Amino acid sequence: MSHQKKEETIIPEKGTVLSAEKGTKRVILDILKKALAENLFDAVLIPAQVPETEAYSWILLQDESLFEWADPLPPVMTVQGGRALSSFSKNGELEQNIAALLRPCEIRAAIELFKLKQVNLKNITLISLDCPGAMPLSNYMSDPQKTKKDFQHILEKWENSESLRPVCQVCQHFSFIDGTAADLHIGLLGDKNKNITLIPSSPKGKKLLDQLEFGTKDSVEKWKTEKQQLANEKIKRIDAFNREWKKKINQANGFFNEFNPCINCHNCMNVCPMCYCQQCYFDSQAINFKPEAYMQKAEQKGALRFPLNTMLFHIGRMSHMVLSCVSCGACEDACPVSIPVSQLFSMVSDQTQKEFKYTPGMNREDALPLQDFTEQEFCEVEVPDECHEKAPEEAK
Amino acid sequence: MEKKFKPNIVGFLCNWCSYAGADLAGSSKTQVDPSLSVIRVMCSSRVNSNLILSSLLWGADGVLVAGCHPGDCHYEQGNYYARRRFALLKKITKILNLEPDRIQLSWISASEGKRYAEIVNQFARDITKKGPNPLTRNSQT
Repeated sequence: MSHQKKEETIIPEKGTVLSAEKGTKRVILDILKKALAENLFDAVLIPAQVPETEAYSWILLQDESLFEWADPLPPVMTVQGGRALSSFSKNGELEQNIAALLRPCEIRAAIELFKLKQVNLKNITLISLDCPGAMPLSNYMSDPQKTKKDFQHILEKWENSESLRPVCQVCQHFSFIDGTAADLHIGLLGDKNKNITLIPSSPKGKKLLDQLEFGTKDSVEKWKTEKQQLANEKIKRIDAFNREWKKKINQANGFFNEFNPCINCHNCMNVCPMCYCQQCYFDSQAINFKPEAYMQKAEQKGALRFPLNTMLFHIGRMSHMVLSCVSCGACEDACPVSIPVSQLFSMVSDQTQKEFKYTPGMNREDALPLQDFTEQEFCEVEVPDECHEKAPEEAK
Repeated sequence: MEKKFKPNIVGFLCNWCSYAGADLAGSSKTQVDPSLSVIRVMCSSRVNSNLILSSLLWGADGVLVAGCHPGDCHYEQGNYYARRRFALLKKITKILNLEPDRIQLSWISASEGKRYAEIVNQFARDITKKGPNPLTRNSQT
């Protein structure tokens, strides 16, 4: 097995700039409506606000009249979009054409699930959009109106806000996915609230723009500049974020102290798009002991904490999925005791993914790091280190 | 007087190389540190991170994973995958400040009885020097 040299993907210079005078959301929905009316798609997977409630959910929309429900940019991320896509596409190919409008982290999760054969992308067009971040689910549930207002404000200004989820504030992949993940990108930046920019990110996306008679004649420069500005601002915050967490973890029992409030509900695992196993090892009986063993362990530790294996669950889960973690923040939203799960996982995934030179969900062709290898690598973990042992001999 | 610390080390040895290497060390009467408890696995890539982590949380002061030399795996590629998984776990334990030196990956072939003894004895000395594993005695875990 060898590592294929990645083709450099360059953000296209040309796209379509559309006026957003009617409102950003309206314009996006009109594009999808048009595509549906012209039979380019048979259905659209999109977030929607359930009528007469404050609840957001994913819908597979077929009836044009129901577009009134749809909201391409909901203030919260209820169910991770990658999970929603997996739920109806994992059991085989679809004959119908489907467009899925997802946040960039949701697309990246979908691509990781695609590599794990949990998503079938045949006939699915992935559309990403500039994401301002999402509000914490618990804040939204306790005061929907205020949270919506705050979110609207963020969406207008595109400035960082403390009210966003912490992982969203330091998100590096909030916009165009620089790879072969998505088909089309909707840029909201660049002439904010006045125009939106459609950027094709695959031949499929380009074809779609041609079929919709938008073409790719307009320059996307304005969007690109503003996107870069925002990215630079975020990078500054990431360093501070990582430093702060490093300091916390390096204290005695740092990691355990963070996870101590855990009630072992496994919500973080249940909502995680990367935790796709039908039966989780940590939900199984494999980690239970015979009664007398508990007494022995209580003696060894001085006191035994119940339910058992809470810490094993978190470190174990981390070692299983962290290389595919897209830092979407779903785990933290789902935690009933407010453990900063996604911040910790994000900090660890950032460092481990760098070590494995892998960014999850960027390219459909990249092999998953644990399903791939080269012969001369990670020699530093071997005792004794054999690669370096051999090297001088070869030189002779 | 305090009892001298004797570490408790778990060794996951692959059936085809390292386990046979351990066997050879025994049959050629090489002295091997008795603190290592051997668990035979079919391949080093069978060692899930859970096995290493639960050993560390539930009583082991050190964990040794040993398999065939790169290129010599009975299943051709198993040890390469094992190395990647091990590298990931090592990195995680490093980031989380959980004493990464308590886990070790070594390649020992079926003919390397002497090397088996050397690696195990050295690892046992290192772990004895480090002292008891705080994780196994931590009621938070």
